[in-house]
Order: sequence, then structure tokens, then C-alpha cells
Amino acid sequence: MKTGIRKSVWLLTIALTLLFGGCGHNELKPVTSGKPELPAAVEHIVPVRSGGGAAGEAEFLLVPKSAIVRRGELTGILVVGADDRLSLRWIRTGRLMQSDVVVLGGLDKGEFIVGTYDPALHEGVTVKKSPRVTEEDHSK
Amino acid sequence: MNEGIAGKLAKQFINSKITPLLMVAALLVGIMATFMTPREEEPQIVVPMVDLFIPFPGAPPAEIEARVAKPIERTLTEIPGVDYVYSTSMPDVALVTVRYKVGEDAEKSMVKLWSTLMKNMDKMPQGVQFPLMKKVSIDDVPVLNLTFWSKSRDPYEIRKAAVAVADELKKIKNIGDVEIKGGLKRQIKIVLDKQKLLKYNVSPLQITRQVQMANSQMTSGDFKQMNQEIVVRTGKFLESAADVGNIVVGISGASPVYLRDVASVVDGPEEVNNYNFFGWAAAAPKGSVSGEYPAVTLTVAKRKGGDASLLAEKVIARVAGLRQTVVPSDITVTETRNYGATASEKVMTLLEHLLMAVVAVTIVVGFFLGWRGSLVVLASVPITFALTLLIYYLLDYSLNRVTLFALIFVTGIVVDDSIIIAENIHRHFAMKRQPKLQAAITAINEVGNPTILATFTVIAAVLPMVFVSGLMGPYMSPMPIGASLAMIFSLLVALIATPWLSFRLLKTESGHTEEYDVTKTGYYKVFNTLLSPFIESPFKRWLAFGVVGLMLAGAIALVPLKAVQMKMLPFDNKNEFQVILDMPEGTSLEQTARVAKEVAAYLKTIPEVSSYQYYVGTNAPINFNGLVRHYYLRQKANMADIQVNLVHKGDRQAQSHDIAKRVRPGVQQIALRYHGNAKIVEIPPGPPVMSTLVAEIYGPSQSEQIALASQVKQVFKETPGVVDVDWVVEADQKVYNLVVNKEQAAFRGVSAEQIAQTLRLSLAGMDVGLIHTGNDLDPVTIQVRLPQSDRTSLHDLTGIFVQSQGMGSLTTRLRAGEMIPLSELVKVEEKIQEKSIFHKDLRRVVYVTADVAGATESPVYAMLDMDKKIQKIKLPAGYSINPLYTAAPTSEDKMAMKWDGEWQITFEVFRDLGTAFAVVLVIIYLLIIGWFQSFKTPLIMMIAIPLSLVGIIPGHWLHGAFFTATSMIGMIALAGIMVRNSVLLIDFIQIRRAEGVALKQAVIESAAVRTRPIILTSGAVVIGSIVMLFDPIFQGLAISLIWGGILSTILTLVVVPIVYYMAEKKSDKPSMTNVS
Repeated sequence: MKTGIRKSVWLLTIALTLLFGGCGHNELKPVTSGKPELPAAVEHIVPVRSGGGAAGEAEFLLVPKSAIVRRGELTGILVVGADDRLSLRWIRTGRLMQSDVVVLGGLDKGEFIVGTYDPALHEGVTVKKSPRVTEEDHSK
Repeated sequence: MNEGIAGKLAKQFINSKITPLLMVAALLVGIMATFMTPREEEPQIVVPMVDLFIPFPGAPPAEIEARVAKPIERTLTEIPGVDYVYSTSMPDVALVTVRYKVGEDAEKSMVKLWSTLMKNMDKMPQGVQFPLMKKVSIDDVPVLNLTFWSKSRDPYEIRKAAVAVADELKKIKNIGDVEIKGGLKRQIKIVLDKQKLLKYNVSPLQITRQVQMANSQMTSGDFKQMNQEIVVRTGKFLESAADVGNIVVGISGASPVYLRDVASVVDGPEEVNNYNFFGWAAAAPKGSVSGEYPAVTLTVAKRKGGDASLLAEKVIARVAGLRQTVVPSDITVTETRNYGATASEKVMTLLEHLLMAVVAVTIVVGFFLGWRGSLVVLASVPITFALTLLIYYLLDYSLNRVTLFALIFVTGIVVDDSIIIAENIHRHFAMKRQPKLQAAITAINEVGNPTILATFTVIAAVLPMVFVSGLMGPYMSPMPIGASLAMIFSLLVALIATPWLSFRLLKTESGHTEEYDVTKTGYYKVFNTLLSPFIESPFKRWLAFGVVGLMLAGAIALVPLKAVQMKMLPFDNKNEFQVILDMPEGTSLEQTARVAKEVAAYLKTIPEVSSYQYYVGTNAPINFNGLVRHYYLRQKANMADIQVNLVHKGDRQAQSHDIAKRVRPGVQQIALRYHGNAKIVEIPPGPPVMSTLVAEIYGPSQSEQIALASQVKQVFKETPGVVDVDWVVEADQKVYNLVVNKEQAAFRGVSAEQIAQTLRLSLAGMDVGLIHTGNDLDPVTIQVRLPQSDRTSLHDLTGIFVQSQGMGSLTTRLRAGEMIPLSELVKVEEKIQEKSIFHKDLRRVVYVTADVAGATESPVYAMLDMDKKIQKIKLPAGYSINPLYTAAPTSEDKMAMKWDGEWQITFEVFRDLGTAFAVVLVIIYLLIIGWFQSFKTPLIMMIAIPLSLVGIIPGHWLHGAFFTATSMIGMIALAGIMVRNSVLLIDFIQIRRAEGVALKQAVIESAAVRTRPIILTSGAVVIGSIVMLFDPIFQGLAISLIWGGILSTILTLVVVPIVYYMAEKKSDKPSMTNVS
């Protein structure tokens, strides 16, 4: 667990510098680790990030490839709602960018999602993400 | 006393052996008719409405309006029978809707439309494609929806099962259209790889050509050999994805390039174009799973004239049979709509109501006439209804909520004739002045003729309702027709069956033998003490009139005081409603699905909701309302429909309208968070309209119209009680216009068409043919398209390559085959999508729509409220507008606004009913003049009519109900009933006076003798109506009949004799002296 937290702090620092650079490549996920007393221990909950936005290029949203849920032709993502409940959101995906996928519709920037889809998780499960780990907190 | 028709008839039948046979025969055919008449939910309303889709690819709305919509509208308005012509000019297509007058023959209308259209197709500009004509009719509304959903299967697999079931269902007799909503079809996708295309120098257009050419097979003919004919067939259709992949599409060096080299060929579900999910909600049956699951809906419509409940039963039974074979076990089939069951339920409720009413009336009659008397009345009712149902069957009516309404409505009235006859026979038997048979015939003679007259006054009252025009006409017409027929039958029954029954059942009580004397009855004593003071003292008389006048004025005053509000029809208590979600134009399918899901998640928590289903990217199965509102066109990415099913109305306290009101704020809050607009749509009880409140804005230019519309919209939003505000103006949607640099394109050997085609193929995809598998129920298309990941940005688009045609294009000398990126040929312009242009009857219009709920439930009050605010709007031109009510503005030079929507129908209905009422009064007046040969007497009788208002209006106030169209019908019918009471009263006075009784004595005697039948008949009406009091739609009618009936009966019994006395006082004097 401890190594997980340390690792996540480390990863976040890199992620932030990259984000500020406005470049969508090589981003790493800010990770919040699930605590043992949580109703459902979710390995990592990540915000939806944006990429692009640099000169002339349109902004786009990115999620980790591992987060994608497939149901036949339908593509979804488990989103952590404001009430800390999981809900399955159908999305439309675009290009792959390394370990990330561009999301074309269905998500907003900054929404929290389950970074690695686990078939055991399903809609309605409460996960604990608070205190909400924001990037700023971790950058300290 | 001479014998009238009534007496003669009674004499014929009172001892005839044929009478009981006739009665039994009538009952039998009635029972048969009840089972043979088709049952359905909505009446068969023929509103020929035709949608014309006229594509004009590439044209902007303004051009479509000028070149396509307007010329077509102009020619269409020439067709006789056309009521309205609407048009919407959208980018690339014009939608023209023609609405014929209600009741026009649908087939003839189509032929007329077709010929007119064909006559004018030569005037269409080049590029306009052939119009698609779609007739919209009530039979397009599915009567049964089956939702296929599964925890483990995906939409593609579920659809497959649904298609298989649909194929089987089509074999059922009398089944109409079977449609499938949602799910994904099988498709062979040719997913192009840009890099590889470039590498092998193959263009997308080349691929489409090659695939089309490879996919051919034909019979070439035959040759003869050895006395035999041998058929030659050439080519082979593509049969699988592998076949498609093996097509050679080009050449690279010396080796062929196969399609599979430059694209991946995938056989599987098409790209996601809809989201359709089903879930159980708070009030789900026990043991249902939570969560929501991919779903596909199978809708079943019925054929014209079919029986909805029979069809639904058959389909359900068939599907149950298919469960084992066609439907995989992990797919659940849930019934999400069954209008057959609701129709049957309505019929059952009616029968229950009828039974209750008949029993209640029988008890009342029994109270006055003894059980034998009540048995006579009880026997006559079923015969009357049986005959009426037979007529419905013969006239091709179906049993629906309107025809049933007509039957409920007449329950209280049809027993009256029998009551009057039976009561009088009973009275004469009790009088014992004559032997039994003679007494019966005298009794019938005495009341027979006034009963005939009275029956015709009631018919005269209801029949003019046939002339209600517009959409409400067909809703109304079964009522006057059914009621009039029932009245005639009840009269015949009263004159034929009742005497026969009375003669056998009623007993002349033995025991007391003294001569019958009216003055010794309790009624006489009451009326003597009650009427004498008014007859003797003019002051008291005028005081009484004053009090009655005040009561009348007070009752009428409740209307302007808004204590009683007017509304066309109140909402019915249904088991469903819909949420219509509109996101701003340009919202992605997934975003819309997300909002729909959130709204659904909220609806799920409502305790009365049993299940829900949301449809994004495809419309929900329509109902009659959706048919008129064109909800079947709601298939864009920014639109979602949520079908909400409630628990059965018997299992919940709240009415569906109250639930709808309760969820509205919650739903709208969610939608608003995403800048969407959500509307709660209930099934209207009457004819559907575009929206309850519609403001049509006319003006010289579209921009001015939109400016005014936005101000009007603001007024709508600020007015309490006005909800679901929306308008037809689309939100700004971003458009990238790729302008081809013509010079450059020509120089590089590329045509503009080539660029446009390539782009269309890349983005929207292009169907290049079908694969011929032979065992797929849905056709399987082959589609060429770029993968989703390669068409997400402008950058992607301009990176698409087109192949130079070189010298073949005749515009260049360069060699063919060069792959040129679009970025070198086009310039990108960012624009806003042009707004659609709406026309109504050739005038440009912008609609602002809303509904009313909460603070005010009646659109008229909201309109009056908003009128003041709208008049205050300052227009840039310096004048203010005055909303119009009845007709569109004559000129488009100035801004103008007209109210439409429910108001238009309300206005038409109340106008027509008002006219009908006036006609009724005249006809009744004429009828009575004809009978009494006096101009004055009818007026006295008709005094009772306004007196009913004293009861009707406060009655509505007491119940907190709206004064609706059904209240108005009740009032009109009551006019007939009350005049009949007066007829009976005055007829008796005249009989007594002719026998030489003094005026005062005759008046009091008449009141005493006639009170019993009058109270009995009015009581029957009142008691027969009580069962309707709990039905939201018929409540108004019930209140009118109950309160109007009670009050005006009491007042009639007092006021009419007094007025008659006053009127006849002068002419009485000489006759008095003559007698004495």
C-alpha cells in the first residue's frame, strides 16, 4: 500500500509537468489508492484528462485504455459520480495514443473514472474517492 | 281521451306473444354485437395526414424554402379538402406536411396529392430528388410493445432475436406493421486504412466502384443442346466478409492489391447509432433485477378495423411459444405497452359502471314503485343497450373510449321513458278506477305522447353535437349518434316491452278500496303548502324569482372569479408518460445518452414508476400524440425519448398527471445542468396538438421573428404555471464548410464532385451493396468508411487523400494516380448551421411552445395572463403586438402573434358546441310549439334550462373540477331532460284544465302528481352519473348531470308551475267564470 502511494505521488508530479506543457503524450495517471475500509476497493480512480490544445490543434479528452468497458459494440467507462457511486457511461472512442484512448463523446474533462476496469465492479457500487485527490494536492 | 300512437302501440303489444320473443331476440343480438365489435384504445379517427420528404442535397434552407417548399405548398393548397399545409425547410431536405380535413377519405386524398405533386414535378429545380410520401394514420400507432432485454447479451444479439420473433409474428392474421426499435444491425464494414491506401495508391472511390462491380450476378440467357434448354448464369454475388476481402481493387507493381490489403473487412454489428436501455424502477414487480440493460423494442401495430385486444393476446401467446425456440434463454421479453389490455379494461370498466348504474337506478325505482316496478325498469335497460351496441357494430364503430363514453353518458337517460310509463301504470293500478288492462292503456295514453315529445327534445338536445368540426368532431360524433339511437330504442322499449312487463309484474294492491284522491297524497300536501303562498301573493312570487335570479347570477359569477376554470379536457389517469429530451443541436449521441440515463436514474426513484426505457438516436414507439407531433422523426443524436411506465392505476393513489407534475422539476433540473430541455409529455385525453400552448410568430424576416420569439419565450418562462417552454429555433451548431479551390483542383486533375464523394464516404460511410447470405432476415449492407478514430477532427479530414484523375479529367496534363491530400485542395470556413425555416399555410412562422401545469391547468388563463406582458414588448419598429386568437394575420409586413395549440381546438369545440346549443334551443322551442300550439308555453318550459346552471357551476366549484367539454355536453343534455320535465308538468296541467279543474288547483295537482316521475327520472340520471364522478375525463359530465340535475329539478318543480300560473292567470279568468 505504502509503496503504492509513494509511487502515485511520484507519477503525478510527472503527469503535471507534462500537462502544463500542454502536450498530450506520455501522460501518466494520477492515482488514488483505495483504502481497506472502502465499500469497494478500487485500485485507481483517475480524472479524465485533456490533451492537445496546442497551436492550432483542437483539444481532446483522454482516458486510459485499461478503463474501457466493452459490451459487444458498445464502449463504456465506469464513472464515479458526485455521490461516489459508480455508473456506466457509454462513450465514443477515437484514436489510440500510447496507453490512452481519445474520447469523442460522453465524458467531461475532470470527471473521475475507474482507471482499470474490473469485471467485478458494476453500477451502483459506492467507492470512496474522498478526500478527493486533486492534482494540486499531490504536487506539494 | 283519444288514443295516441303510444296507446295504439301498447294495445298491440301488451298482450302479444311476440313481445317476449322480441325482447329475447334483442338481448341476444346485443350480446353478440358486444363480442364482435372490435375493441381498441383510441377511436378510429381519420385525419389524413401526409408527410412529404423532398430531398435537395446540398441546398441551404433558404433555397429549399424558395425553390422547393413554397412552390409545392402553393400547389398543394389548391387541392380541395386540404385543411393545413405545414413545411419545414431544413438543410438538404424539405418536409411538407399536408393535413386534410378530418374525415376526408384517406385513399382519395393520397391520389389527389399524388396527382397534384406529379403535375408539378417538372417545375422543381435540377437536383431535387424524388419525393418520399408517407401517409400517417392512427393505425401506425403500435398497440403492443415488447421489450427484449438481456443482462449478458449486446444490442446486436438482442436485435437478432427480436428480428427472428418479428418474422414469426408477421404470420399472424390481421397483424399490422411490426417494427424494431434500437439494436444494431449486421453489417460488413470495410474499414479503410489511410496509410495503406496511400501506400498501394488506391483511392476510396476506386474501392466502392470495384466492390459494386464485383457484387454482380445475372441470368445471361440460355442455349439449346440435345433437346434441352440450358440456362446460363454469370457472376457470383458476394456472400461473406472473406468474399469482400478478396476483391482486387488495384494493382501495385506487378501484383494485385486485394481489398483486405488496404482495409479491414469486419463482419459484425454496425457502428453504434442508438442507445436503447431498459430498467426496472422503484415499483417494479418483486424479484426484478436492478440496473439497466441493453434493449430492443418490437412494436406491433394492428390493421385498420382490427381488434387490439385480440391481436395483443395472439401475439403474446405466439411470443411465449417462441421463447423456447427463437429467443435465447438469457434474453427477457417484457411487455412495455399493451393497448389491447387497456382497451379490454376500458370495456370491462364500462360494463361495471353500467351495471352499477343500472343497479343503483333499480334500487331507487324500487324505493318508489316497489320491487316489481324496479324489475320492469331493470329489464328494459339491457334491451336498450343491446340494440345500441348492435347499431354500433353495424355502423362499423369500434368499442373505444369515446363510444363507451357515449354509452355511459346515456345510462341515466335511457331508463327514463320506461320509468315514466311504469310509474304511470303503477299509479293507475293504484287508483283502481278501471280494470287492469284498461288502466294500463289509459296510463300509457296519458303519458305516452308527452314521453314521445320528451324523447325527441332530448334527442334534439344531443344530436346537434354531430356538427362539431375539426379534430374534436370524430371524438364527439359517436356520442350524439349513440345517445340518439339509444333514446329511440329506449322509447320503443318503453312503449312495447314496458307495458307488457308492467301488466304482468305490477300488482294492483288489494286491501284498500277507497277512491284515489290526489289531494290526499303527501306530495299534494307538500306542494299545496309550498306553492300556494307564491301563487297567492305576487310579492312573494317576485321575491322567489329574485332569489332564483340571484342564485343564477351568483353561480355564473364563479366563472369570471376563476373559482371554476374552463379547460377543454382534463388529463386522464394513464399508466404511462414520456420524457422528451432535447439537447442543443450538435450534441453527441453519447452526451445525450448520458443525460437520458441520468434523468432515467432520477425517474427510477419515483415510487409509482414500475419500469422505464430510454431511446437515444431512435424514437420511442409513438402514441397518438406522437403521431400528430411527428415524434417518429426524433432520430437525431441530440434527441432522447424516455418511456416511463407506471404501476397500474388501481395500485396507486396518485393520478398520472400529478406524478408528471411532481417529477417535472427534478427532470428539468437534470436536463438544464447539461443545457438540455426536457419535457414531460402525457397522453392527451382529446385530440393531440403540437403543444398545449403554441405562440405562432409571424413577421417580415426570420431574424425579426426569432428576436420576437425569444422575447415571447422569456414571457412564457416568467409566467407561473407555464412549463416545458421550448421553441423550434435550433441551437447554433458548428459547421465546417470545406470550400474547394477550383483552380487548384482542376490543375491537379481532381473534380469537386470527387472531393465531395470522398468526404461523404469517409465520414458518413457509403453503402456499396448487399451481401447475399440468404438466411439473414435484415438485409446486410456493405459499407465503406474510415474508422472512427480517423474522422475525429478537422485535421483528420483535411488529411484525406483524393486520387488525381490526370489527363482523364481533361483539365490537366499531369499523370493520373497521384494521391493528393485534401488540405491542398480545400479551404476551411467555420460557420454556424443555418436555421430551419417553418411555414404554416405559406406564411413563415416561428413557434414557441409550452405546456401548463401547476399554478394554472387551463391554457386560456395562462394566455390571458401572458397577453398583457406580450403587449408590453417593444419592437424595434416602434409598435407593439396584440396576440391574435382566432385567425392568422392577414399581412406579413408587420410582426404578429397568434395563439394556437389546445386553444385552437378549445375555441372550435366551444364555438361549435355553443352553436349546437343555440340550435338545440331553437329546435326544442319548435318541437314544443308544435305540440302545445302556443308560442308562450315553450318559453315557460325552457326556463328550466338556465336554472341548471345554478347547480352546474357551483357543483364544479365544490368538486374543484374544471368546466370541460364534457361538462358542456352534460349541460346540453340536461337542457333536454329539464324541458322534458316541464313538458310532463305542463301537459298534465293542461289535461286537468281541459277536464275543468281551476288553474291553481291544476297547477298544484300537476306538481304533486308529476313529482314522482320527475324525481325518479332525474334521480336515475343523477344516480347513474355518480359512477362517472371518479373518472377524470367524465367527471365534468357527471358533475353537470348530478348537480345540474338536482338543482334544476327542484327549481323546475317550483318555478315552472308558478311561472305557468302567472302566464295563464289572465286567460284563466274568463274560463273560470264560464265554468262557475
